[in-house]
Amino acid sequence: MSGAAQRRLSVRVVAVGLLRFALGGLLALAGLLKLRDPSGFAVEIANYQLLPALAAYPAAILPATELVLSVALVFAPAPWRRAAVVGVAILFAGFTVAVTSAYVRGINIACGCFGGGGDAIGPLTLLRNLALLLGVAALWRWDVTPRRAAEPSPSRPS
Amino acid sequence: MNHGLPSRLAILLAGGVALGLMVNLVHPRAVRFGSFAPPRVCSAGAEQAGAVTPPAVERLSLAQVASLCGDPRAMVADARSAERFAEGHVAGAIHLPCASSRIAATAALDRLAGKETLVVYGDSTEEAMPVAEELRRRGDRPGLRVAVLAGGFPAWSQAGLACSSGPCADCGAHR
Repeated sequence: MSGAAQRRLSVRVVAVGLLRFALGGLLALAGLLKLRDPSGFAVEIANYQLLPALAAYPAAILPATELVLSVALVFAPAPWRRAAVVGVAILFAGFTVAVTSAYVRGINIACGCFGGGGDAIGPLTLLRNLALLLGVAALWRWDVTPRRAAEPSPSRPS
Repeated sequence: MNHGLPSRLAILLAGGVALGLMVNLVHPRAVRFGSFAPPRVCSAGAEQAGAVTPPAVERLSLAQVASLCGDPRAMVADARSAERFAEGHVAGAIHLPCASSRIAATAALDRLAGKETLVVYGDSTEEAMPVAEELRRRGDRPGLRVAVLAGGFPAWSQAGLACSSGPCADCGAHR
């Protein structure tokens, strides 16, 4: 591998590492804040008016799932990290659908994205969720595993 | 796709579910699956609605609201469910629950044109507050006085003030 290619790879590894830490940290923070008050979080979920009677179940499960996925995203070896990326993508996609649904229906509620209260749902919430989804997509595409980094260049003679 | 990816994902998600259920078992503010009752109105509201300053909504007494009846510059809005509205409401009130669609809310704001006072009520003072705050924010108009009826509809009804019943004419777009 040429020096330029190695430099590009190093920059990518650092950028992807930073992105992983940022997304993992954000997810851990969101999970911890929600975990402080499961009852309050259940009310936040019910306010979205998507099967509100069942809001208790995601309220109990989601914060811990966010925590588990964030730990895997930051600290786990590559195969588990890839699985965590898929899990985080599913979570963020679900959040985006819920937020979009509430916004389209004109329901004025707090996002609840980081526990009780928070910003009212609006275009900025949607943009933030889409940006997070893009970040997850970038991790899926460019998360460099040690195995891939060690692969020989196809153009190099064996 | 890696062959082991689905199983690893399932293990991570199952771990999250198990951890969540265990934490909920010992949490002092645990959510109770069997007895959780979703709020009847949007209880949280937009507490920190970005750059918008939280609106100041007045609380008006029964006598103050009664004195506004028949005043063409005042409008009364019922923030309860369509069913509760049909059972009985303040005479002349429009129906506008917090869960109403953006279209319905915009239509209500259009009806505010020329009005100087909007009084919102629910089954309690607290129930009407999020709706009043939202209308105040959306209808951001200098000089518009937005208020809630202290005590809500039960107090109004008990005082024997003017009521009417029947479904709302505008409930096609919302419940």
